[in-house]
Amino acid sequence: MVDNQIIVSNLLKSYSSKAEELTVLRGISFEVAKGDVICLLGASGSGKTTTLNLLAGIDKPTAGKIYYGGKDINEWSTDQLFEYRLKEIGFIFQEFYLLEHLNALENVIVPIILQGESEEIAQDIALQLLNKVDLGRKALNLPQELSSGEKQRVCVARAIANNPSVLIADEPTGTLDSKTGDSIMSLLLSLAKKNKMAMIYTSHDPYFTKMASRIFVLQKGMIVEHNPEDFADIGYDKSKFEFLFKGDNNE
Amino acid sequence: MNELDDYIGTEKKQTFLEKLLAGFSFNLRLIWKNISNRKKSMMIITIGLVFSLSILFTSSIWTQTSQLIIADDYIETLDYEMYVSTYLTNAMDSVYAYTVNDYLVRQVDWYYPTVALFNFEDKGPYYRWYPEDQQENMSNPVSLTSAHLISSRAIDRIKLNLEIDGNASLNSGEILMSYTQAKQLEVIYNKTISPGDEINIAISRRIPNTDIGEHQMRFYDINETIFTNYTITGIYKYVGYNTAIAKLLGGLENTGGMLLDSIFFPLEDLSGIDRFIIDSNGLLPRLLVKTNAQQLRINGISQMPDTLHALSERIKIRFFHAYCYILSQEIQTMANEYARTFSSTALFTPAIVATIFLTILASQMTVKKRKEEITFLRSKGAVSSQIIAIFFGEFILVSTLSLILSIGTGILMAALIPSLGHEGFFSKSLFTRYFEYLTISPYDIEIYSVLVLGIYLGMTLINVVSFVRKDIHESMIITVRGQRLIGMWIKLAAFALTLAGFIFLIVDYTRVARSSYSFGYGSIGASSNALLAFIAVLFFLSYFVSIGINYVLRTIKKAYKFVFKQNSFLIYKNIKRQTKSLQDLTFFLILIICLLTTFVTIRSTTMYNNTIEDAYRRGSDIRIQSLVAVNITEFEEKLGGIEGIDEIMGFQTIEAIVGSLNVDVFGVDPSKFLRIGRWTDNSFAEIDPESALTTLEESPSSIILSDYIVDRLEFTIGENMSVTDFRGGPFTKEFNVSAMIKSAPGLGIAHGFDPKMNRENYEWVLLKEDILINDLGVHNGTLFLATAKEGADLNLIKEEIEALYPLMTVNPQQINPDYIGYFIVKYIPHVSITLLMGAIVLNVIGVVYILISTDFILGQRRRENAVILALGGNQGKIRKMLVGEISVFLISTLLIGIPLGFLSSLLALTFLKPLLIPHEVITLTMHIDFGLLAIMIVTLCVAALLGAIPIIRKQMKYEIVQELRAIV
Repeated sequence: MVDNQIIVSNLLKSYSSKAEELTVLRGISFEVAKGDVICLLGASGSGKTTTLNLLAGIDKPTAGKIYYGGKDINEWSTDQLFEYRLKEIGFIFQEFYLLEHLNALENVIVPIILQGESEEIAQDIALQLLNKVDLGRKALNLPQELSSGEKQRVCVARAIANNPSVLIADEPTGTLDSKTGDSIMSLLLSLAKKNKMAMIYTSHDPYFTKMASRIFVLQKGMIVEHNPEDFADIGYDKSKFEFLFKGDNNE
Repeated sequence: MNELDDYIGTEKKQTFLEKLLAGFSFNLRLIWKNISNRKKSMMIITIGLVFSLSILFTSSIWTQTSQLIIADDYIETLDYEMYVSTYLTNAMDSVYAYTVNDYLVRQVDWYYPTVALFNFEDKGPYYRWYPEDQQENMSNPVSLTSAHLISSRAIDRIKLNLEIDGNASLNSGEILMSYTQAKQLEVIYNKTISPGDEINIAISRRIPNTDIGEHQMRFYDINETIFTNYTITGIYKYVGYNTAIAKLLGGLENTGGMLLDSIFFPLEDLSGIDRFIIDSNGLLPRLLVKTNAQQLRINGISQMPDTLHALSERIKIRFFHAYCYILSQEIQTMANEYARTFSSTALFTPAIVATIFLTILASQMTVKKRKEEITFLRSKGAVSSQIIAIFFGEFILVSTLSLILSIGTGILMAALIPSLGHEGFFSKSLFTRYFEYLTISPYDIEIYSVLVLGIYLGMTLINVVSFVRKDIHESMIITVRGQRLIGMWIKLAAFALTLAGFIFLIVDYTRVARSSYSFGYGSIGASSNALLAFIAVLFFLSYFVSIGINYVLRTIKKAYKFVFKQNSFLIYKNIKRQTKSLQDLTFFLILIICLLTTFVTIRSTTMYNNTIEDAYRRGSDIRIQSLVAVNITEFEEKLGGIEGIDEIMGFQTIEAIVGSLNVDVFGVDPSKFLRIGRWTDNSFAEIDPESALTTLEESPSSIILSDYIVDRLEFTIGENMSVTDFRGGPFTKEFNVSAMIKSAPGLGIAHGFDPKMNRENYEWVLLKEDILINDLGVHNGTLFLATAKEGADLNLIKEEIEALYPLMTVNPQQINPDYIGYFIVKYIPHVSITLLMGAIVLNVIGVVYILISTDFILGQRRRENAVILALGGNQGKIRKMLVGEISVFLISTLLIGIPLGFLSSLLALTFLKPLLIPHEVITLTMHIDFGLLAIMIVTLCVAALLGAIPIIRKQMKYEIVQELRAIV
């Protein structure tokens, strides 16, 4: 328990509109320890992104608690949440969300600047990070001049720029072909390992569970932890996991 | 089968009309939905359209309506517009019959001049009354005075020129008496003469000819016209200015002449025989003609003098012996003043253009915001014409609504502006009067609607088409760079053409202005044209300057670092990306600030100039005007003895002729005038006042003429010339031209009608006083200028002089109280108010534009801001960043816009003079009201920043997750 960085307890999230109330998460609980590499598996609309957003503090739960370092982040002030996102969380978005008017280097500089570093130092750090993700040569390219894989690498560099404790990646391979997806996953894993970060990523493809130390499956708003070996045994064959994806189509 | 099956089960065959109606109804619902979903943008566009249109409509309705009221009011305040006389007295009845039946004539009144006698009862026929001040019995003298025989109806008009103590009636058994005559009778009767007193009066049917020795009472024909116990209903002083009766009876310098020492007697109390005898004795009657204002102004205010001329021509062509004097000059001056003041509303044009521009930019933003909607419709198979039709439909609805609101607002504003502007209070009578006179020009309404709505529709559709037909657009213009280059070349070419047009108009204006000595119709028109071109030049200039500023803003990274420290990175990057919205913002802010500065500066220059000019017209610390001509030397001594007066000088005055021009001749003590008068460097042409007046002092035969006379008669300095007809007689004297004068303190301009001064003649000349006193025997005048001792209380001096000499006024608020501007001021705001209103409107437009832009730019950046927040940025930092960005634009545009505005004012003041002042009596020099400018600028900045903060806060309230997911 002491080693756990994040404890999620009875997390419930529902969205209400004039027409209906939609419950996405129905009281999920799990724990994340330092160095964990967790894959959150589920069909589209199962609540994977919602879970990550809640963990990153960019969304608020309807009920339940998320403890980080023993403290409930939902009780934090807005400024504490900014601080949490800035210093503890590295977020890789499925749709990249790069700032279109900034080049690759400048996109990576943003979180470093936000942390209070001078522009010169931020530039050095960002360049090193881009080199780390093997994108140093395209540091001055604008996002529209980069391929999807390259954009994702910029996102990775941006996510680890402030040396976070937890790396969160929402479908990091979702928009990539399998070869590029593999290389991005390898990069993420190596960076997480090297920087001793916990990593939580989502996927709807069982293939990408093979890099995870722990696997959670989200289904009908509930979460179930599976033994990674079960997935290995059946060769990560998607057709054999179809039962996991039935009944979810919230999004 | 259930209900649904009923509905869908059978396919109804629709006729063509039904299909058309269904399609129309569907589109209408879609359009309405689009409008109701975009309430804010649609409201801004509607307000912009209503604002632009209603200003134009207000101006049109106001102009059309005001000129009717102004004309009616002006004519109503004139006693008569014409008098007619003839030397064939037996034809007078025919002249009367013709004149009174003319469509233009409202009323014709008879006037007979003669003499009235008082204290005549005990005087025998051989009593010698002449000379009046050396009568046979000076201890009990007869009193003689001018008698004006008029109908009781005529006094209702003539009384407009009189300040009456008592009643203004002239019924049978009543007389009205002048103040001077009353004072004379008080001495004779040794009692006070007051309204209500009864008196005996004799009306002479003949005036003796003293030249042939008719010095005795018997030469008066009064035996049949002695009236006893007539009531003095009122005692009057003459106070009229623009008046026909003064032209008939008036004397020197509008002193009222025969009106000062006279009585009014009811003509109806004389029999027909009396009138016949008066007539037969050579005392020629006149017809006083009052016109019908509605008929006189039927062809427009500017045609009124001509319409009046036409009446005089009609009379003269039928009665060759008739002489008609008309007040055309006064009416022309009013028409000129009307034209000038209304043309000055052209100064509001920049505000109107800026409003239209704001509307266009707002509609552009709306179209940009709907880019995704257009893409969506296209993806669903909507053809270009359908999309354009939707936008067109929205335009029709918004335009119709705007048009209806604008006409209503225009009518209301046209009535409200004069009603509110008059003396600072709301005048209900003026307000209702406007509605009585309300005149709307369908032509103006149509032109303005087509102009404003056409521009709006054109610009909106261009934007829509460029999105809808992007493929075609891109295939036509190969690259974005190429597109920009072509655009820039087009703009440069348009700027070059506009600049060339402006230069041409300036040359034209200079030509017109140089050829005239005061600003009339020609120069007003040329000035208005140059103003319109100048506004276009300013627009282009602001655009190109904004490109320069944007370039500089992209290159001063270090400055951002220095000012914004940690936040500089994102501020600089945002400014560097230079979106169209930011470019538009820079351009529009420069334009607004430049125009705002120009408005405020021109306003302060005009107001300052008016103050200086009024002081110059007054002439010195103290200006003393006498209602009667007095002995200048005698009164210089009397008035000079009053405590507080340091030095005083009077002007001996006489009329004469130079060439064919009637002139007022002023005799002055040159060295005193130099010391006492508030001279400026612009008073004389080609010489300074000191040299000019010293030459006049040293060479007694010198004469100072207006530059107009010197030019017209091609005199050279030093040349001899002659002045003729002194005193209206054959006396001629030769002088040596010593200087050309444009204007003098206390006397106003040397050539041209100066309505503020109310001079009789168009010209005046200056002579040394010795010439008038010694050579011409002229001792009298009506004007004195004096300096006050240091620390003297001017009000005390004024009170003392006015108490001692009731026929003198000291430092009158306006030298000519009937200055034509009164009518204009009543209905048209002064140019300073137009400029202030323009500045306020520009300020509001500036603030609204900043707020719209901020909202739009932040709207575009919602996702960016959400990303920054998701990455750990805090709202405070983003807020600071946005305020920083707005500040950069505000400060940089202020730094350029204000100096540009000063330059623009400097240039504009060279060609706007006709719209601001009737004459350049003193040189119009730029005066900056830094206080007002600071208030305007600070208001703009504070309102913009305060207005932007809630928008930023609102933007910050969005949920990060929603913003990341949303399609903005």
